[in-house]
Amino acid sequence: MAFLATALPSAPVQFTGRHVVSISDFSRNDLIHVLELATRMESSQSPARLDGKLMATLFFEPSTRTRLSFEAAMHKLGGKVIGFSDAGSTSTKKGESLADTIRMVERYADVIVMRHPRDGAARLASEISTVPVINGGDGGNQHPSQTFLDLYTIAKLFPELLSGERELTIAFAGDLRYGRTVHSLLTALCHFKVRLLLVAPRGLEMPDQYLHAAVKAGLVVQEIPTLQEVVAQSDILYMTRLQEERFPDPLEFDHIKHSYRITAAMLVGAPPHLRILHPLPRVNEIAVDVDATPHAHYFAQAGNGIPVRQALLSLVMGAV
Amino acid sequence: MSLEPLDPPTSSNPRVRQVEAILHGTVIDHIPGHMTLKVANLLARENDQVSIGMNLRSARMGRKGVVKISGRELDARTLSRLALIAPSASVSIIRDTKVVQKFIVPMPKLFEDIARCANPNCVTNHERWTSRMEVINADPLTVCCIYCERNFPATELVLL
Repeated sequence: MAFLATALPSAPVQFTGRHVVSISDFSRNDLIHVLELATRMESSQSPARLDGKLMATLFFEPSTRTRLSFEAAMHKLGGKVIGFSDAGSTSTKKGESLADTIRMVERYADVIVMRHPRDGAARLASEISTVPVINGGDGGNQHPSQTFLDLYTIAKLFPELLSGERELTIAFAGDLRYGRTVHSLLTALCHFKVRLLLVAPRGLEMPDQYLHAAVKAGLVVQEIPTLQEVVAQSDILYMTRLQEERFPDPLEFDHIKHSYRITAAMLVGAPPHLRILHPLPRVNEIAVDVDATPHAHYFAQAGNGIPVRQALLSLVMGAV
Repeated sequence: MSLEPLDPPTSSNPRVRQVEAILHGTVIDHIPGHMTLKVANLLARENDQVSIGMNLRSARMGRKGVVKISGRELDARTLSRLALIAPSASVSIIRDTKVVQKFIVPMPKLFEDIARCANPNCVTNHERWTSRMEVINADPLTVCCIYCERNFPATELVLL
């Protein structure tokens, strides 16, 4: 991939046995190391194999992309998968603690991929488990493998992200307060040269702690009132889903949801290189007519989940 | 008596003590006025003899609180709890009416099992697990839960 040639040389990075809990735990070198390996995975240039290894997927909350892509990644590497995708069918329902579940599963599997509704659940699991824990989403907190694939997608589209030859303009739109993907991605982008544009309804703005971190890292951050304004000036428009339950007044939600919806008509005159990303699932915030435009990149983004998760699994299990 | 006066001495009344002196024990001084009762509640055990001074004049703070506990010196855990709710307070250890040690409440790098995370969805509020919060800013005291990664002003936390 072109972006590899422009990435800064990375120092040796130790990943074997490491937990993947929060994107904050990873240095710039770590991030680049994962992206480099994902590139080799995608082009089938990596010899990494996980034959005879077992991955446990503990999904205490529903998931489509994360679970399926981790499972697909493990199968592609020759490993096997056990797990559940409904906590209702497990001993959790009988009152088993998360700690006890982990103490049991670590004896069954070589790696644990976990999604849990509580913020911080993956960190707790990582303090107990002797096998690597990969966080597949903990409440509204973190979703690091999504961030790795978001970064991978951006770096494939715009190698300047890693080379620093040009400051990329990346816009986040939608629910920036509760959306864990934008929090994690912002944290990762603090390692790069980026101008951030933020578009959010009142009450759903990016929390101060992330804004402060971005500014401290030297990112230029601007809050922009409308979606149309960012379309004209962005390289990446990262959309997130607005959730009705965040709005006390259903009428307000009804009004707001139209202001945070992108349509093909709004993209007429957009820069040709603009790409729209979304962690999916989308509901109303991206009109179906956008799919046919060259700006739509969210399904390709989801596809990048496979090589990125292959890379993460191989790294934490010491296959590379 | 060798205890330091709580107020700056004045020419008319150089050594007026606003809260009764103690023979042995601990004096917590320079407590922000509104936190005085909270500090007393935090420190006092059922049978402790506690003297409280509220809204006392202070050259440094304008108004302050003082809590004196007879017969007991504070352990490390209690000092950590004190650091969370009154980080600017000073502590004097009294033995035979003499101040044998005086220090500002030490600020730990990590509050462990001292306060409940203010995020209701934090895993530490739902599992039997120790809460741990890192200090990320001393003034105003701000902590970050190492589990849910949220930052909170210390004033939002509930002590355990």
